[in-house]
Amino acid sequence: MIPRLAISAIAVAAFFAAPYFLAEYHLFQICLISVTALVVLGLVVVTGLAGQISLAQSAFVALGGYGSAILTASWGVPLWATIPATAFFVALAGFVLGQLTLRISGHYLALATMAFTAIVQLALIHSDPVTGGASGMPVPPFRIFGRTLASGGELYYVVLPTTVFLFLLVRNLTHSRFGRALAAIRQSETAAEAMGIDVLRYKAVAFAASGFLGAIGGGLLASLSTYLDPAQYGITQSVYFLAIAVVGGMSSSFGAVLGSAVFVLLPNFLQSFQSYLGLVFALLLLGFIVLRPEGLASLRLLRNALVPAAKSPRASR
Amino acid sequence: MLAQVLVSSITAGAVYALIALGFVLIHKGTGVVHFGYGDQVTFGAYLVLIAQVIVGLPFWLSVLAAVLLSVLLGGVIYGGFMWPLRNASLLARIIASLALGTVLREFSRAYMGPNAWPFPFLLSPTAVSIGGILVVPANLAIVGVSLGILGVLFLLFEKTIYGKAIMAACDNRIGASLVGVRVSSVFLAVWVLASVLATFAGILVAPLLTLSPDMGLIGIKGFTAAVLGGFNSLLGAVIGGITLGILEALAGTYISSALKDMISYSILIVVILVRPQGLLGGLTIRKV
Amino acid sequence: MTGALLDVTNVTVRFGGIVALDNMTLNVARGSIQAVIGPNGAGKSTLLNVITGLSSAAEGTVSFEGKRIESRTPHARTRMGIARTFQNTELFGEMSALENVMIGLDRHHSYGIVSGMSHSRRYRQSETSARQQAQDLLNLVGIGDDASVAAAALPFGKQRGLEIARALATRPKLLLLDEPAAGLRATEVESLNRILLKLRAERSLTILVIDHVMALVMAISDRISVLNFGRKIAEGDPQTVRSAPEVIKAYLGEKAAHAFGA
Repeated sequence: MIPRLAISAIAVAAFFAAPYFLAEYHLFQICLISVTALVVLGLVVVTGLAGQISLAQSAFVALGGYGSAILTASWGVPLWATIPATAFFVALAGFVLGQLTLRISGHYLALATMAFTAIVQLALIHSDPVTGGASGMPVPPFRIFGRTLASGGELYYVVLPTTVFLFLLVRNLTHSRFGRALAAIRQSETAAEAMGIDVLRYKAVAFAASGFLGAIGGGLLASLSTYLDPAQYGITQSVYFLAIAVVGGMSSSFGAVLGSAVFVLLPNFLQSFQSYLGLVFALLLLGFIVLRPEGLASLRLLRNALVPAAKSPRASR
Repeated sequence: MLAQVLVSSITAGAVYALIALGFVLIHKGTGVVHFGYGDQVTFGAYLVLIAQVIVGLPFWLSVLAAVLLSVLLGGVIYGGFMWPLRNASLLARIIASLALGTVLREFSRAYMGPNAWPFPFLLSPTAVSIGGILVVPANLAIVGVSLGILGVLFLLFEKTIYGKAIMAACDNRIGASLVGVRVSSVFLAVWVLASVLATFAGILVAPLLTLSPDMGLIGIKGFTAAVLGGFNSLLGAVIGGITLGILEALAGTYISSALKDMISYSILIVVILVRPQGLLGGLTIRKV
Repeated sequence: MTGALLDVTNVTVRFGGIVALDNMTLNVARGSIQAVIGPNGAGKSTLLNVITGLSSAAEGTVSFEGKRIESRTPHARTRMGIARTFQNTELFGEMSALENVMIGLDRHHSYGIVSGMSHSRRYRQSETSARQQAQDLLNLVGIGDDASVAAAALPFGKQRGLEIARALATRPKLLLLDEPAAGLRATEVESLNRILLKLRAERSLTILVIDHVMALVMAISDRISVLNFGRKIAEGDPQTVRSAPEVIKAYLGEKAAHAFGA
């Protein structure tokens, strides 16, 4: 077992060294994986940890991307400020959405979150003057410290630290009484309530967290893709994020990274079969949910090799 | 004017009702909520298309081929996915049904392209004036078929021993099997039936909506209709569908045509929150 | 208002057409151990659910420490000091026994979200202390060695004990036990009796227990209330209740009541 400090040192060194060894394309892919992992981390919190099915993630991503882009384009406030600000408001929306769980769960919650995503997408398509309507809108350039970051290699310096930071926060929270409460809610809401846990508030906060993470991911993703197209933010995308969560392993933050890596890198290996990409993703989801619902992260080999032994709220099997 | 709006809206309503019937059939028969049903309806139409365009069969043979293939599909869905997952968590089952739908949709997109295909009408698509109101025979077919299927399923569930066996199997797997009901056969039959129903629905609906991989999104509307009618009621599915069609048409005419869909989805959220048992459903008490 | 810790006054609970509790009045004195017995379907679990907030009363009031609590959510009542165990154990199956108990202790932690995110010293100290307290509670109910075993993997008797340890972790003033002795062997019942009496003595805990097992009820109760068909048919100390004709009739029928000599 390598001491944690050594791993951190190696990671930091790798972070700074990578741009010298890797081509722009690869750096872009790394950024894409990071950003996707952030979005999926939101699902890990609300669905994997708290056990609440949510198909709203794509709506949060849309709101984060559009919201920050519009604020920057209209008022000139830089993206590095509008993205977190928007994320805060999206978190609020998530909190309100989470209040739904007072009355519904399971199928109806899935349905309601689907409807939410559909409504957000339609709202974006029909708000032409502000959002560019069905043809979408360009994303303002990302300016920070007087520089403009355009390529993957440049956004890399913002995307990766942000991702790592948020991942650390979430991981720490998972291993605290807050993570325990969510796990309790997932396993038995009745008992959790009897233990003094305000179940409704925790579920709403879990939704808020998924909204926040989705929006930050959405904002950064928008900068990477430089264009916002409303067709990319529908229920299909929510299922896509869910697929990544399932394949990677829904109950761990590491799973979000694993799944994102698989889904972002897979197209590289399917060069001639680009049109079958969606089918491959769907088959992966189907295969995993039937055969290995805990996802890739649950494979012992991967776990012991890559994750330092930390106190986990899960009992050993 | 209002009368015209209402008559036209009944078409849309019948489409929703047809899909809602499939949802309710599966739920009533097996207890599963099949989120991928809308995509299965689309896939049914694609099967006909593939038989026609790729294999070169004439239309009616293609329909036959599609129906036979959908029987097979129903069996595969049940045997390969629903039965193995019968004891899995609710989350896993919801995701599995979503995944199934996505697989069917993406296959259609990959194999036949992302663009829309024209699909032949079964009855005439030209409007006929009856008493000053325009009526389209093709649309009437949809209404007629919906009612017909409703009638058949209603008789099945209420009047025959097979229907009772299905309800028993759905209600209490172990109990039903103890009294001699072969639960797995029952569920298989329901899934096959629903699969065939999906293909028929697809054939009727595709000409109206134009066939594309994303036609399956109509599933949410069908879902809304089923929820409106109280998810366990076949009659409710039809009434819910018609109601939704009328509400949508009224909203489209008097509020905004562009926002029509948004209004439907909002109706869904409101109904789920305020009256989850639907317009017709009864409240069930759960013992803690 | 009596000076009791818990007052259930004229409570009626209906489920559709069924009257589960009919004008029920029950008072639990501070520091006492009170039992509620009665045939199956008598309304005992409903009584517990009304007290903890899982069911609502159509009529009547429930007061704890003199304050009305009918409108409070279950988790708010737990925070006031009412804890319960469940008849069909509702343990957090995937978590270890220790973690199950730690959940109960969680709201007594001194660290907030920021410390939770940063794993500050405050967090570490709080977690270590909680871990120790949880272990102590597990030792108290006799499952100290099973701290790292997943709750779902524990044998039935130990799961019962874990339910109690977990409820105790919330630092209750009133402990509600839902059939804690069901399915336990005689020796286990005796050890449960000892634990409950010890809890009352050392932590000045008030206990309301529902059960059928007379070896528990008769041995530790100060007072017993007997329910049948949602109504209270007898109440008093163990000796009085055991020979009351209504009670014998409810359990064994009319003839037996005569046989026992009225």
